[in-house]
Order: sequence, then C-alpha cells, then structure tokens
Amino acid sequence: MIEVVDLTKRYGKVVAVDHLSFRVEPGTITGFLGPNGAGKSTTLRSVLDLVHPDTGGATVLGRKYRELDRPIHRVGAVLEASEVHPGRSGRNHLRVLAAAAGIPRSRVEEVLDLVELSEAAKRRVKGYSLGMRQRLGLATALLGDPEVLVLDEPANGLDPAGIRWLRDLLRSLAAEGRTILVSSHVLAEVAQTVDRVVIIHRGRLIQQASIAEVLAGAQGGTRVRSPEASRLRTLLAAQGATVTDVGDGTLVADVPPERIGELAAANNVVLHELTVERATLEEVFLELTAGETTQ
Amino acid sequence: MTTLVRSELLKIRTTRSWWAYLMVIVLFTAIGVAAEIGSSSADRGTSDFQVSLVDTVGVAVLFAIILGITIVTTEFRHGTVTPTFLVEPHRERVILSKAIAGVVVAIGFALLSLLVVAAVAIPWLTIVDAELHLADGEFATRVGQQLLSAVLWVLMGVAIGTLVHSQVAALVGTLIWIFLGETLLVGLFGLLDVDGAAAYLPFHALDSADGSGGENLLSYEGGIAVALGWIALLGAAGIWRTRRRDIS
Repeated sequence: MIEVVDLTKRYGKVVAVDHLSFRVEPGTITGFLGPNGAGKSTTLRSVLDLVHPDTGGATVLGRKYRELDRPIHRVGAVLEASEVHPGRSGRNHLRVLAAAAGIPRSRVEEVLDLVELSEAAKRRVKGYSLGMRQRLGLATALLGDPEVLVLDEPANGLDPAGIRWLRDLLRSLAAEGRTILVSSHVLAEVAQTVDRVVIIHRGRLIQQASIAEVLAGAQGGTRVRSPEASRLRTLLAAQGATVTDVGDGTLVADVPPERIGELAAANNVVLHELTVERATLEEVFLELTAGETTQ
Repeated sequence: MTTLVRSELLKIRTTRSWWAYLMVIVLFTAIGVAAEIGSSSADRGTSDFQVSLVDTVGVAVLFAIILGITIVTTEFRHGTVTPTFLVEPHRERVILSKAIAGVVVAIGFALLSLLVVAAVAIPWLTIVDAELHLADGEFATRVGQQLLSAVLWVLMGVAIGTLVHSQVAALVGTLIWIFLGETLLVGLFGLLDVDGAAAYLPFHALDSADGSGGENLLSYEGGIAVALGWIALLGAAGIWRTRRRDIS
C-alpha cells in the first residue's frame, strides 16, 4: 500500500532520514511515531513526491506518487495546518483544490459537513483556530474520497475533545476500508486508534510492529500486595528476583504472577493483590527512543 | 489542464488583492488619462493624440507583471504550494496553468483599463468639441499592441516568480531592476562603447514591444522576439528550479 525503501534524505550535513524502510499494510491504521525532528515529515513528504530523496524512494499503491492517475482521488494528505492562504475562506480554499482536480462543488460541501466546519466555511482562514485549520486540512485530504490517507500530526493544536473527535473520525474512515498512515510525536494521541506502529528515531527505523507486539515486548513486572510484604520480599529475593518496595505493603517484582503465587502458597504468605503490571505504550515509546536522545 | 487553469483563475479571484488590483487599475488609469487630456489643449482633436491616450493602459501592464510574480510566489509564501503540488505533482503543468490564467487576467486588466480610458476620454473630448478618430485603423492597432504588451509582461512576471520564489525578493528585485538596474547597465554599456546592447535588455525589449516607440529601442517585432526570448530563458530556468525544489 505504502512502501518506503532505503529512503535517505540529507539537508546539507544533517541526515533527516537515514536508509529508512517500512511498509504500511492495506486496510490498517498505522501510527508513524518518533520524537520531534525524527524525520517523520521528511519521510511523508518524500512519499508524496514533495521532497526528492537522496537514495531510495517510496511507492503508494504500487507506484510513485507522481505516476498516479488523479492522485488526490487515490491518496489524501494533511501535512501542515498552516498551508492555506490566510485571506481565502475555508470554502474557497477547498473549491480551488476541487477545481484543480475536477471535483464537483457539492463534494466541497460534503467534506465541510464531515469535518463540522460548514458554519465557519465562509470566514477567512486568518480567523481560524489551529483546531479549525486541522479540520480544514482533513477536509482537504478527504476531497477526492481517497483510499489512502497520510496525516502528519493531525492532532497538533486540538483540545481533548478535538482529539477524541479525530480518533472517532479516523476509526470510521478506517472502517470504510481505507488505509491510514498517521504521524505523531505523542504516542497517547494515536495509541487507541492505530493497529500498527512504525517507530523511527533520528531518521532510522526503531520498530515496526503491531501495538500488541510492542506491548508484549515491553518489560513489565508483577505487582503484589501483602500484609507480610517484607517476608515476601525476602523470599522473592532468595529466588533471585529483583524486587522494588513501592510502599503501602506493595512490591513490584520481575517475576511472573504464577511463580509469586506458588511461592506465597508454599510459604503461607497472605496475598491481597496480585496483578501483572503492563508498561504503558508511552513508557515503551520513551524506552525505545531513549538512549539515543542525548547527542 | 483546463481544470488546472480554472483553479488558478479561482485562486486569483478569491483573495482580497483581486479587488485591490481592479480598484487601483481603474483609479490610476482615470488619473493618468485625465492628466493627459487636461495638460494638452491644442491637439486634442488630432488622431495622434487620441491614439496616444491608449498608452495609458500601460498602468494595467505594470500590474500585469506584479500579478504574474504574485500568482507564483504567493503559493510559496503561504505554503499552499503543498496542496497545489499534491493535486498536480507535475509541477511544470502547474506553472503552465498559472501562465495561461495570468494571460487571461492580464488581458482583462488591459481591457478594464481601456474601458476607463474610453469612459473618461470620450465624454471629455465630446464636451470640448474635439473630433473623435475612433474609427482610425491606427487606433485598433495600438489597442492590440497594448493587449499583447500586457500578455508579455504577465508572462515575464510568471517567469520571474517561478525562478525567485520569495515574494518580497521577486517583487522588490524586479522593481529595482526596472527602475535602476537597466538604467545603470545602459550607462555601463555606454562606457564600454556597446550602446546598442542596451536595447536587448529584458525591459528595454518589453518597452519596444508596446508599440509606443522610443529612442534607442529595437523595432516593434524585434522587441517582441527578444522579450519572448527572455521569458523563455527565465521561464525554463524557473521550471528547472521549481521541479528540483524540496517542498518542505
């Protein structure tokens, strides 16, 4: 669907993207994640033939973007919320692009409705909030009713209600069978929406996997609460486990819950709570992109 | 291609500067033609004088080059070049559509300006009992020459904008070049004893291509040919640059 192969882009001495390869499977929502400056925008712009890579390249739907017939009917993109003439109204911004692509005016009204911008449509974009500009960007991407959507940080500038709205919209778009690649530097924004993630850092691929795989690979511990915490701690330590006392009679150990349960039963230790502690995606993300963050 | 040109025309019409262009053209033309008639009392009835009034359309011609530069550079200034190139990734087609839309609008500007000339001059000359020579062949010729001049100037603007993407640099640079750069070069050519070369400078060529004549200029046809040459040269360099540019 979207395939990036050995993509490298340098700006002067700075390597923005470094031999990056990944695939976006059809019908999935893929989160494209990395800290600010990881090379996400440069990658997306290379996919869309806006930026000329130094090596490698990308295909969408099996072709280079510029070789697609009527590309915005196949691929919709939102890259930056500010790419609108401030003096033009939201409606006219869409009409201009619709005219270029031979899309009827009725479709402009449809997408305005879809992103809930109809009421503000005749106002100049200058007076729009960042959230409204993001909506207008989404409307632009949806003009051609494309099967692939590429969204660069669409949640930027949205308030929590806006982020929920975006999440619901992306879900409903994906439910219609569209393929979506959505970038973000805040994992939480997309964690509940995406099926798969591509994590990059400093232009290089860190991980490409499903959300479940990322979580499974994360180092989680087992949380155990007991009135005899200190005795349990000694027992666990004797088994070679690393144990942390988090207070209130609660311990966190790097041992599966089964073994703690068995150990407690064998030694008649009363347990009040025994749960697997999942690392949140955010922690995983920070862990994966850490280590290299210092120059 | 038709859809692209339609989109470019819509872009021009959907910003406030469109109304500013129209108002300023009407105002400047009216002032220009009134000054012309008001300052000459003796020869108002002559065909030569009345034909020279058509040259007031030169106001529209100056706005044609500003329009040409602006329709390209505004896309880079506001980042709208991104969605524009997403709709049409073949960038040279976008530039070509801008040139065609620019020509259409520049002809409109010249006709509007011409209308103002007529609206001011005809009643005025009629009131002062000057004989009108509207049916003269020379009259139609000059109108045609001014329309072609507007076309050449807008194309020059598009070519410059395609080469110099910064709006301020392109507009200011062009104005400085027109009013200072070529004058200095004329002086330099004089010192180097190659005075004739000055006529081949881009805006000297454009000057000879408006049919109003002048000293040390190329012939009318020669002016058109040299102006087209400059437009082609700058335009080709601009398309090369625009195609290579990373839109980031």
